Amino acid sequence: MAATAVKTSQITPAAPFPSVFTLPQTAQLEALYTIIRDKTTSRGDFIFYSNRIIRLLVEEGLNHLPVVPKAVETPTGSKYEGVSFEGRICGVSILRAGEAMEAGLREVCRSVRIGKILIQRDEETALPKLFYSKLPEDIASRYVLLLDPMLATGGSAMKAVEILKEHGVLEERIIFINLVAAPEGLKAFSTKFPALRVITGWIDKGLNEKAYIIPGLGDFGERRYCE
Amino acid sequence: MLGEESKSDLYDVEEHRRDLSESFQTKKNTILKSHGRPPWYGEDGLPICDAFVIGIGGGSASGKTHVARQIVKSLGSIPTIVILSQDSFYKHHTEEEIALAHASRFDFDHPDALDMPMFAACLADLKACRQSNIPVYSFAEHQRLDETKYLYGAAVIIAEGIMALHEPALRALYDLKVFVQCDSDLMLARRIQRDVKERGRSVEGVLEQYLRYVKPAFDNFVLPTSRHADIVVPGSNNSVAIELISTHIRRQMNERAGHFRKNMAVRSVDECLKLADGKSEGSSFIVLPQTPQLKGIYTILRDQETSRENFIFVVDRLATFLIEKAMELLPHKKKVVVTPTETECSGKELDVKNICGVSVIRSGGPLEKGLQQVLSDVAIGSLLVQSDAETGDPLLLHVMLPKFIRHRHLAVDTWVFLLDAQIGTGASAFMAIRTLLDHGIQQDHIIFVTFLVARNGGLSVLRNAFPGVKIICGAVDEGLREAWLEHYNSKGEEHHEGGRKVWIMEPGMGHIGDRYYL
Repeated sequence: MAATAVKTSQITPAAPFPSVFTLPQTAQLEALYTIIRDKTTSRGDFIFYSNRIIRLLVEEGLNHLPVVPKAVETPTGSKYEGVSFEGRICGVSILRAGEAMEAGLREVCRSVRIGKILIQRDEETALPKLFYSKLPEDIASRYVLLLDPMLATGGSAMKAVEILKEHGVLEERIIFINLVAAPEGLKAFSTKFPALRVITGWIDKGLNEKAYIIPGLGDFGERRYCE
Repeated sequence: MLGEESKSDLYDVEEHRRDLSESFQTKKNTILKSHGRPPWYGEDGLPICDAFVIGIGGGSASGKTHVARQIVKSLGSIPTIVILSQDSFYKHHTEEEIALAHASRFDFDHPDALDMPMFAACLADLKACRQSNIPVYSFAEHQRLDETKYLYGAAVIIAEGIMALHEPALRALYDLKVFVQCDSDLMLARRIQRDVKERGRSVEGVLEQYLRYVKPAFDNFVLPTSRHADIVVPGSNNSVAIELISTHIRRQMNERAGHFRKNMAVRSVDECLKLADGKSEGSSFIVLPQTPQLKGIYTILRDQETSRENFIFVVDRLATFLIEKAMELLPHKKKVVVTPTETECSGKELDVKNICGVSVIRSGGPLEKGLQQVLSDVAIGSLLVQSDAETGDPLLLHVMLPKFIRHRHLAVDTWVFLLDAQIGTGASAFMAIRTLLDHGIQQDHIIFVTFLVARNGGLSVLRNAFPGVKIICGAVDEGLREAWLEHYNSKGEEHHEGGRKVWIMEPGMGHIGDRYYL
């Protein structure tokens, strides 16, 4: 899955899979990524600028929800043929880094319900394993925005989707919101769940031998919460 | 008699007429406003006339300030007047000069004591409807202070001082030159009275200074300037002369207004509408992609049933998104960083020197939170534009701008997000943009961010006048309809007589300011 370099960037801007959507690759967005990629960026700036990207990702993700026509009357007494949102949504964050996206989600969707999933690598099998999950009871009837900022190999994201499906959520009703993705992870993920839409801000070059995203931005949870 | 005004910021010395007598005692460089400032520009977006400038010279204690005050009083309804005192323009002194000054051995009455080029530059800026940041001189410290005082937007400027008619560069700027003629003995008597009473000097000290500096300066430099005057006014019993001057100024002002009225940018909305070509293409007018989500947001905002709580939340969300899109219009340059994985990454960074917001009160307010979500510490200035109940003309009532705009040398490199909820007739947008251009902001550095634009409103007039200004909005409405608001006067206060003409966008979202704030 070799990425082709473009003129202004060493990172591929185009989504290679039909179920994967990237944000418009503007200079402005690249500048936001440049700030959060920079290892010298302070935690305060990291939080502020990653939040700006996350809001844009959530706005884009919501665009993939169905709408139905709705006519309203404006305060001037005119009629307006608009649309309204159909169906209820909830967020599910993959701990710990996914929690960093919750604030951005709630800035766009006020008081939205948020479930949590903790997945860690099982030291014996080296496979992702569910450690903890708290999900809304009626999650099966909702659209789910699955939150995880980094998609490297895609192991934990795929595990999280399996858990959601076990709870009755339809694959096509899940939208995965992601800040930076590696092509390897995207390929594995979207091959396994072709009906599940992925909204990612930027697709990076690839993974290094330790399975870190290159150039990436380091450990999101670490930089957001600990450094 | 000294310029004691120490405020360096803003356009804040706005005295109502009833406060005139008080304010004059302490403030020489004062902006006096009786009502808002009507349009000072034509349909092409260019200023139609300079401010009217009066120079008042005459000996110390001859009564120049009194004459200035009387002119202001008798002018009555002129919107904004600045009285600019020569005292502000004493030069920056050396240590030795300050020592001399404290020993009363410094000649403040010589033309060389004044920074005439700066005086002329400030006056020229004000005359050309630009802002000026005039120096502040402290008589206590005998020194020019680091701070400056910001002035902008006067229709009449009075420059007064003993040397006001001395400098050719200054004389070239005056539309009317006045010399206040007073007998030397009367001036001396007034000076003794003033200095002893108000400044605690001894009579001997005053006399010594008078003979050493004041009298020779008057004879050598001040009195000869009377030949430049258009009118010589007696230093006492001068009410007839003042009446003549005021009549002259009023007539001049009326002639200018009359001459240019037919070119007024916003003389009538109907005519603006006739000019409207309904064109909305072009790179300087950007409408957000009409995605399902955006349409859903506008449906909520347009729905009159939407709760206030919900309206506010959705407005803030939309504002943030609009500002993010507006940010894409800023220039960027290449930047290489190293990521925590120790990989070099070529990216971009914003390539702007200064950036700030300016909100048109009150409807620009709902966009402010969005701006702060994107630029957390951004300075946000404000302008208040209201339409005149009788003529429908926009009136500029209040200007409070960030330092990046107040100072001309910074304004050149400043990008401005101009915020207003909608563009209907475009009259207030027009006035706001002209105000920014007056300050030296470059046209293509202005990004007008708004929720809603009327396709057939003042948009085309606005774009013809200011083709470089970028306008970004979330939706375009087809209709603009004239209506009569019964219970509101021009200040938007409840008012049970009359009412005012307004233009309502259709389908629109109602009055965005009211729905957001009330």
